[in-house]
Amino acid sequence: MQTKHENRSVEDNSINAEEKAPLAYNVEQLNLWYADNHALQDISMKIPEKSVTAIIGPSGCGKSTFIKTLNRMTEMNPIVKTNGSIKYRENEIFAKNFSVEYLRTKVGMVFQNPNPFPKSIYDNVTYGPKIHGIKDKKTLDEIVERSLKKAAIWDETKDRLKENAFGLSGGQQQRLCIARCLAIEPDIILMDEPTSALDPISTLKIEELVQELKKDYTIVIVTHNMQQAARISDSTAFFLNGVIVEHDQTDKIFSSPEKKETEDYISGRFG
Amino acid sequence: MGVRKSYEQDLTYLKQEVLAMGKYVKYAFEQSLLALKINDNQSLTQNIVADDKNINSMELKIMDAAMLTIAKQQPVATDLRRCIVALKMAGDLERMGDIAVDIAKGSARLSENRSRNDTDQLTDMAEIAKQMFDQAMEAYENQELMHAQRVASLDDHVDSKYKSFIQKQLRQKADEVLLEDITQLSFIGRYIERFADHTTNLAEWVVYEVNGQHFDLN
Repeated sequence: MQTKHENRSVEDNSINAEEKAPLAYNVEQLNLWYADNHALQDISMKIPEKSVTAIIGPSGCGKSTFIKTLNRMTEMNPIVKTNGSIKYRENEIFAKNFSVEYLRTKVGMVFQNPNPFPKSIYDNVTYGPKIHGIKDKKTLDEIVERSLKKAAIWDETKDRLKENAFGLSGGQQQRLCIARCLAIEPDIILMDEPTSALDPISTLKIEELVQELKKDYTIVIVTHNMQQAARISDSTAFFLNGVIVEHDQTDKIFSSPEKKETEDYISGRFG
Repeated sequence: MGVRKSYEQDLTYLKQEVLAMGKYVKYAFEQSLLALKINDNQSLTQNIVADDKNINSMELKIMDAAMLTIAKQQPVATDLRRCIVALKMAGDLERMGDIAVDIAKGSARLSENRSRNDTDQLTDMAEIAKQMFDQAMEAYENQELMHAQRVASLDDHVDSKYKSFIQKQLRQKADEVLLEDITQLSFIGRYIERFADHTTNLAEWVVYEVNGQHFDLN
């Protein structure tokens, strides 16, 4: 028997094409405990820049913990202990001289439920830049327009910038939160189930937006929606019980995953 | 598994329908070979033509079932391949049903003095094609790749038998009656060879279903 189409070589199998791109993150042997609960076990993962990495897995598998570790949010919980290495742009984020404030300006985060501030649309977007000392009205105006445009919500909000953000729909609020995140000009955007509280059309808008944003940003997205991971990500990592069972190109994961656990999970047989 | 019971049922149903369609096609092929052997085969040919309508509607039934499964269950990976392979196999099987009709119609045009030697040669060839078909369907039923591989080696036998059969036909000196027989026998030879080719397609789909690889067994 001869193959009709040449199989990928073994080296190609490990998301090699993307590995050639500069890495936004290089995670090596990361372990995390909540007190005695070993929540992340020997996690190693390379995240190439300007790509979308989807993290999938059943509840409690460690996926949210993992992305919150990428901007050191987990350490706000006093019972958390970590070891191992996470390099952001080749700098060790756990190093003593590494500034967590700097990390969090570079790594924005979008959460499951839209969480705009109880302020105007305009003030939501300018909140971060103002904290960073930008006061000039014209510069702030530019940031607002640029951020809202990038988050694909400018047309819907340009005539009501002074209105309270709570007047927006759930999907619009989520895009506003993305605009707020973009206003501080991050490098990475972490998204923790960003569409799970949204209707299908708002969900698709966010998905389209993710495709646009990956031209300029590196995106790591936790999702429970298998089809979403299949549609929007370049690579997918399947987490189970605190370990990475499989991390590969998304096309491979959803067509012929290596591990049976992965296949059982993506085809909805457990989880 | 239990978690997705109706999903499992949908996928099992697809496989059962393809296997059932396979049984109809095999019967049609066997009947068409019988038509080749006997002289007065008009009613037999009519039956084969009528049965082919059932085979055609089975393909459409499988297509509808696969469409619904994809729409409702959103299968991925192996499950998705099971749906796609059911569609592709149903397509090949439908064509094989048509081939059985072609063989029967060609046989009806043969003279009463058809060469027994020639029809025996064709029957020999068809026997191998039938073995290939059984192997392919068994491979499909049991996800057994060894059977699929055997189909490929048997196809080589069919091809070489077809080649020598055609060469023999073309070398004959013929009057008008014999010329019609030679033409029809050559066509029938070609139909049987095509039937075997479709069988290798079936085997290739089984390989694809099992491991997601495209193999050229032809």
